[in-house]
Amino acid sequence: MLPNVSRETLLDWCRRMFIIRHFEESLVPLHDQGVFGGHYHLYIGQEATGVPALSCLRADDYLFTTHRNHGHLLARGAEPKRLLAEILGRGDGYNKGKGGSFHTVVPSLGFLHTSAVVAGIIPLATGTAYASKALKNGRITVCLFGDGALEEGAAPEALNLASLWKLPVLFLCENNGKYGAGRATGATPSSTMAAFPLTDLPTAYKIPARQIDGIDAGTVHAAISETVEKIRRGEGPQFIETQTVRWPGSETNWPSVAQPTDSSLAWDVSGVAEKVREWYRSYDPLLIFIRELVDAQQATKEEVAAIEKKVKAEIADAVSFAVASPYPKPEEAARDYFA
Amino acid sequence: MATKRQNPTELVSFLRTMWLIRAFEEKVSALYAAREIVGLLHLGIGQEAVAVGTCSRLRTDDYVFGGHRSHGHAIAKGADINRLIAEIAGRAAGYCAGKGGSMHIVAMDAGFVTATGVVGGTIPLALGAAFAAKEKGKGQVAVVFFGDGAGQAGPFHESLNIASLWRLPVIFVCENNGYAEFTPLSSHTLVERLARHAQTYKIPSSTVDGNDLLEVRDAIAKAVQHARAGKGPAFVECLTHRLRGHYEGDPAKYRELSDLAEWKQKDPIARFIRELKRRKAISDKEIEGVEREARDLVERATQFALASPWPAGEEVDSQVTA
Amino acid sequence: MREMAYYEAKFEALHEIMAADERVHLINGTFLSLSPHRHIYQKLVKKYPDRIMSPPISELGFCGLATGAAMAGLRPIVDISTGSFIFEGWPQVANEAANAYYMSAGQTHVPVVFHLFHGLRGGGASQHSASPQAMLWNNPGLEIVLPSSPRDVKGLFKTAVASDNPTIFVDHVHLLDLKGDVPENDAPIPFGVADVKRKGSDVTVISTSYMVQRCLQVAEKLASDRISVEVVDPRTLVPFDMATLMASVEKTGRVVIVDETHQSCGVAAEIAARIAETGFDKLKAPLRRVATLDVPVPYSPPLEEYIGPREDRIIEAIRAVLR
Repeated sequence: MLPNVSRETLLDWCRRMFIIRHFEESLVPLHDQGVFGGHYHLYIGQEATGVPALSCLRADDYLFTTHRNHGHLLARGAEPKRLLAEILGRGDGYNKGKGGSFHTVVPSLGFLHTSAVVAGIIPLATGTAYASKALKNGRITVCLFGDGALEEGAAPEALNLASLWKLPVLFLCENNGKYGAGRATGATPSSTMAAFPLTDLPTAYKIPARQIDGIDAGTVHAAISETVEKIRRGEGPQFIETQTVRWPGSETNWPSVAQPTDSSLAWDVSGVAEKVREWYRSYDPLLIFIRELVDAQQATKEEVAAIEKKVKAEIADAVSFAVASPYPKPEEAARDYFA
Repeated sequence: MATKRQNPTELVSFLRTMWLIRAFEEKVSALYAAREIVGLLHLGIGQEAVAVGTCSRLRTDDYVFGGHRSHGHAIAKGADINRLIAEIAGRAAGYCAGKGGSMHIVAMDAGFVTATGVVGGTIPLALGAAFAAKEKGKGQVAVVFFGDGAGQAGPFHESLNIASLWRLPVIFVCENNGYAEFTPLSSHTLVERLARHAQTYKIPSSTVDGNDLLEVRDAIAKAVQHARAGKGPAFVECLTHRLRGHYEGDPAKYRELSDLAEWKQKDPIARFIRELKRRKAISDKEIEGVEREARDLVERATQFALASPWPAGEEVDSQVTA
Repeated sequence: MREMAYYEAKFEALHEIMAADERVHLINGTFLSLSPHRHIYQKLVKKYPDRIMSPPISELGFCGLATGAAMAGLRPIVDISTGSFIFEGWPQVANEAANAYYMSAGQTHVPVVFHLFHGLRGGGASQHSASPQAMLWNNPGLEIVLPSSPRDVKGLFKTAVASDNPTIFVDHVHLLDLKGDVPENDAPIPFGVADVKRKGSDVTVISTSYMVQRCLQVAEKLASDRISVEVVDPRTLVPFDMATLMASVEKTGRVVIVDETHQSCGVAAEIAARIAETGFDKLKAPLRRVATLDVPVPYSPPLEEYIGPREDRIIEAIRAVLR
């Protein structure tokens, strides 16, 4: 269902979701051609969680995310060209090439640190929440992580601290393992966690927890905006698990794009390769969103296509910018390690 | 609550072991006050029923792991008190040739694998022993003792998760004495019972009166049966109380005096004696005899230990690697 | 000038730090360890109940919390208590706090202090006796400070809190009752400034933390043998004051380094390497290290004593470089 927001906001979200989608897809050929190395993780299939969820935050709230961070940064308004430059290790990147994909930091958007260690950010999030409470500045912290993070001891330690000291933090667990190949066995969302549902973990600590459909933008927006208000009112930590179906392009060792996205797919998937067709037909949150947008007459197919065209051009520019951006000087490596 | 068909001789043997632990701990405390023992010493006075109730259901080839308060666990598992007290006193004749001390008891011959100075440190190790036991297929189980303070440590949760996922024959025995070091459990977590965490990971659990030996024994019996049958882990939380401070020398100003008076009433040894008398399984004379015998054994072990030589300095280089 | 006990100077520092900056929060609080005087810490707890937290046994949790709080504008001091327990929270210290500033290209500051007690304490055995500062020195991004006197602990604690970098404050329980002079209205001691604790002319003995006191005792003994020992205390490993050390090395030409970390890749090893690289031609004899032996720390008192930088080993090393 469509979220209860203005048309202007809906179109803005549409644009942000397209930015995420096309940005992420653009990384695959760049990686395969050797323009950048190392592991990278794409947010494709989770856009309808990131964009509506992060729209509920204030400009000065804190966010912590993980190796699957591009979607969060872009949803929050990071510049595609500077993010891409960072992923490529270039001097114009947000971290001047020192962080790379996993560690992109943009303090002005609330991203002070990103850890590549699963669950590494969960204790840190309790810290910014603790500071905000002590400094009485009204900021809240959103801690974004995946279903795997709860297996790490750091997670229950942090949940315990948050509940014990009533910290203003939203634990947002994006479970993208629903029916995901390689992860799910039977009804369990994750085959390496005995607790099921995952919300049983925070519940033990008396942290209010719920599971919601992460594919539906309206559901996400309603749940997150309500939950964020509770935290702002001082009710203590909250936990939300959003569920999405893993993008088929993540099933291989390295991401692969079997089907480049185009808004027309929202109405006709006949051209999509059979093994991924069902995902694009029924589980692609971006396509579902634009279909709902048009069905509700908030935009025409042509308007949506026009938004997408502009985004594609913006991403193409970002790619040119990043690829042309020079590498930092080698001596930079030995500088700037202490304040 | 208590097992009906229980052999009286066996019941008296439990009393013997509890008294052995009590006498041992009191003696070690006195030695510490006399500076015959140095370092950190944590006594389990008041928690004897958990140790004896649990180990009474185990085989010699079952694996037991402890924490920093584990003299009683080792004794209940069958460790030789002469070598135990020698170890705590840092002598060469000790189980670890003086290298381990109180918090690092290893009595492999009795199946007491190791204690630890790190809260929760042996929980993952017990997983490993259970994993090996499962591979070997002889029906062995692993038991790990830990306190309520370990419930907030990450490795505790990781271990519950893995034990459940892989159906490992490990029994988690939590001695919830309400205090982690110097602060009450309530200042460590909003969760009142650690068994709650076992439920999260779908591990069968029970919470029992840790000062009632037979209740502990019954709960452990179920857990052991479950694990030996290949059905996976189990969790037994024993509510108890330590009658001393966290460590010897701890003035324990943080404890309510009324708290202590109430628990002295629930002293596991006194309670068990009342139960034995109720069953007419023991006479007053025998009761005195059990205590006297325990103290004699401990006294002889102490003399053995104090007469033992210190380890030679050069010994530090031995057994660093195999 | 006042004569104070180390624990009094440390407590005075904490008091002044808490009063001066309300962004300072204390997470965990065994700053006076198991000292019989530790009850004075309760005065602080009563005065600042909202800024002093007593966490559960969750090193990953509370080291991470302190790091995150530092990123968001507080200046926390985390007490890890027994140094060995840093291994329980190691990922947050070494892999998050240490890296944040650098990998963000300076955008994120982490002004957190991790306080711990290191070393051989008397019966601590293998899991309560670690000296992790050598491993931490090998993990770039952390400042490391080791006070050895009442004046030092007060001055260095203030600088640690004022620093915008993550700082490891390495203390030792055997220092707590030491008495020494502390000036009135003392100023914070800057990092990267070594201190010549005793002037001498025959041999340079470089030492840290509690070993400084042991070396001073040795120096006093050897003075009656007419051996003049200069004791130099780096006070901070990161940043490190090479200049003061080299001035002493140039003067004496003979060097003994005494440190409680284990010998292999220990603090003494790194200092020795630096001196050998930059001042080889100044040395009149090969330098010597006196460190804890490369074995896990045993429990029994004679064994524990055996493995440490014993007085007789220090004396033997000094005599050796003088031959």
